[in-house]
Amino acid sequence: MFSVRFVARLVLALCLACAATLLAQDIKITDPTSVVMIVNRDSNDIAFMDIKTHKMIGSVFLGNNVNPHMVMMSPDGRYVVTGGTRANKAFIIDVPTLKLVKTISVDIAPEHLAFSPDSRWYYQGNPQGDSISVIDMASLTKIKTIPGFVEPLNITFSSDGSKAYVGNYGAHWVGVVDVRRHELLKKIQIAPPPGVAKLDPDRYLGEIKGVNIAMPSPDGRYLYAADGDLGVVGVIDSREDKVVKVIRVGPNPWRVYMGHDGKYAITPNNGDETISIIDIRENKVAATLEAGPDMTGVNFAGGKAFVISSTSGFVYVYNMQTLKPAGRIKIGTNIQLETATTDTADQKLYLAESTNHQVVIIDAKTEAIERVGNVGLYPWGTHIMDSKDNYCH
Amino acid sequence: MLNMRDVSRFGSRLLRGGAMAAVASALAIPSIANAQMPPMPQMPPMPPASAGARAEESVNESTDPKALLERIKLLEQRLADLESSTVLSEPETRVKRVEVWVDPEGGQHDEPVTGAKKVVTYQRERVYRRQTINEKIEEALSGEAEKSVQVGVSAAIATQVAAQTKGAATGNSGHAYALGSADLFFTARVAQNTLFFADVVGLSGPSPDGEIGGLTLLNGFTARLVNQNELNLREAWLRTELFSQKLSLTVGRLDLTNTFDHNAAANDETTQFLSDALVNNPTLGLAVNGTGFAAVYDPKRSLNFKLGMQQSNTDATNLSDSLFSLAEIGYFATPFSLGEGNYRVWYRQANSTGSHRGAFGVSLDQKLAPAITLFARYGSGQAPSTNGNSSFSTGHHFYSGGVQFRNGVVFFPGDAWGVGYAQTGLGTGPRERLTEAYYNFGLTERLKLSFHLTHVLEKQPAAGTVGFLVPGVRLQAAF
Repeated sequence: MFSVRFVARLVLALCLACAATLLAQDIKITDPTSVVMIVNRDSNDIAFMDIKTHKMIGSVFLGNNVNPHMVMMSPDGRYVVTGGTRANKAFIIDVPTLKLVKTISVDIAPEHLAFSPDSRWYYQGNPQGDSISVIDMASLTKIKTIPGFVEPLNITFSSDGSKAYVGNYGAHWVGVVDVRRHELLKKIQIAPPPGVAKLDPDRYLGEIKGVNIAMPSPDGRYLYAADGDLGVVGVIDSREDKVVKVIRVGPNPWRVYMGHDGKYAITPNNGDETISIIDIRENKVAATLEAGPDMTGVNFAGGKAFVISSTSGFVYVYNMQTLKPAGRIKIGTNIQLETATTDTADQKLYLAESTNHQVVIIDAKTEAIERVGNVGLYPWGTHIMDSKDNYCH
Repeated sequence: MLNMRDVSRFGSRLLRGGAMAAVASALAIPSIANAQMPPMPQMPPMPPASAGARAEESVNESTDPKALLERIKLLEQRLADLESSTVLSEPETRVKRVEVWVDPEGGQHDEPVTGAKKVVTYQRERVYRRQTINEKIEEALSGEAEKSVQVGVSAAIATQVAAQTKGAATGNSGHAYALGSADLFFTARVAQNTLFFADVVGLSGPSPDGEIGGLTLLNGFTARLVNQNELNLREAWLRTELFSQKLSLTVGRLDLTNTFDHNAAANDETTQFLSDALVNNPTLGLAVNGTGFAAVYDPKRSLNFKLGMQQSNTDATNLSDSLFSLAEIGYFATPFSLGEGNYRVWYRQANSTGSHRGAFGVSLDQKLAPAITLFARYGSGQAPSTNGNSSFSTGHHFYSGGVQFRNGVVFFPGDAWGVGYAQTGLGTGPRERLTEAYYNFGLTERLKLSFHLTHVLEKQPAAGTVGFLVPGVRLQAAF
């Protein structure tokens, strides 16, 4: 029998050994949920900020002229990945040590990306290559490039990880990928162009503003895909992979953002500077409210929706109980706002402001703002593990 | 609106079209230079540059088909790489507003120091970012566009026919009318949050209002008509926004109906109802545009406040005798779990008769469903007499209401239709009852075609009641 003293010594020794190992590896992040990731387009790095102290922990330089676009942490918290738009490469960073562990060549101009729920597959969308690169996170290698898309923008995995839905901004359909075989299975048309489309070649032939993302409902049963040219949101039943309802919203909806309470979703309509609030239980527009120009994102926190108007310097606020406007927060003048993420407690927003190279932290309840400067050059987006508002533009 | 995505896509196309052929030509591959390029196949990872160069050298003189194919593959890969990386790698320069601290000796510090004063200055900043050539071009073009004067056009022609349905023959039955209108808009940003706007309008052609003398206009465009075939300056004003853009001040020659008595479903003769009674509230009394100002306080919440003053009579020699004063409170509500509704109450005073003549009114629009909007207006008070001058009749009573349908219940997505009723009465006895229905086809984003059917009953105490049915067609282009 081991004595109590012996066991205590053994535990202490193990702890010391672990600590020594960690120190030897220069561990910088022990809790992946404790950081905000910031993708800095012009300083070509991913910066990490402590959520509690708002201090910068460190950054990972990716290379000259990489221009990273979107950052995401794997669901297991082990890796952070990004696509370098001007480098045509995917970058994989080890979270604890903040080391760049792998650089992988992908297709042209990689932008948005997604992880399968089990963290095994990293799908990197290549909008100018019209493809998706499949990266196996077990071996950290690209195993396949899935062709056949038309400017694939955003990818969303089904909750069981068996399918991935791809928004095609250069077309009016959502692609369904079989994740087991990494093949494009089906194209779901959101809605046909109206009969008068042929009279309006400037709009329908000049430049397609199609589907940005198929946004899943909180229960994963339905996906909501806005089509910019058609001004509609198609509701896709994920069991049958077909559109079950088409909801007309305002002109040129950018995409659908899903509320956290499962009641409402919002489309920012850049065509007329409004937002459409969709009641997702009844699949109809509950309100159309005035907003601002050039909207790039919507975040939900504290019972409110925060809509980012990138060129006006304002964040528009809406009360999601009354569905009424609740003022707007002035972030600055002559600045460019990018996108934001929300913390997992739904209390604070972390908004990238690229002109002054800062992240603006907005308290959802009080609407007070705090600025964290010198986060890197041209912060383009932010990301928090397990946040419900992780997106890019 | 162009966003980064549009810019990037434009670049991709540009490069695929022009740069590929040019590069192919430079690399002496006639088949590529002269032909349309097929879609780019998936390529293996690019070998290192030195290895590529060696491979190229080794096959340069080779006539082996396999080696040539390899070379084509390599060149295609280079082409693909060039497509995505034909960029400007020179540093990007921009100017930033910075806060610095200046000490009493004039020394500038980046951080606070004792005795130094914080001042704002501007400083160049350099960043190292690759930009495609088209991004640079697009930036330059949009920068130029922002600085220049923007011009817009709104042109419409409304053709109507009058058929008398009631009362003693007036001789106007069967007459046709066509009034054309063209507005030229000029807008320019002249300072931070400050805009200049001017609207020059020209009208030509007869409208039914010249022959059917109603209390309100059967063709809302007639309200703009000063003289036929002449250009008139309708509006020319400066607007600035203060206090985090919550307060806007507009000064110049104004049309205050663009600020007061709004209505989501009945406010625009170019896209909604044609009859003026379903566009404006006659008791508001704003028959002509004039010099004035408008202040709007809108914190982007439920309540907003408006205040305005405007010259009421263009013939007056001073403003003291010809001034409209208006105030409005607007409230945004979603009552009974319905959609969004806008409720407005206004009060107006005019001093053109020596004494202050007041009026008040209400304008509301309420969505019942995403596709259905109810609207109503009410007004009471002393308003200008119907001959367009500034003398005020005693007692003017007005109400209107109706419904507008959009989305779901239309033929095409951009269509809208509506039905409205308006009743106008003067204290001296004349009364007008007007009903209009319209269907507006949104043919393109810039072109709309609408069909209107209006029925009006005009009751004159001395002459009895006459009725007219006025079908019409309106073609409107805006760009």
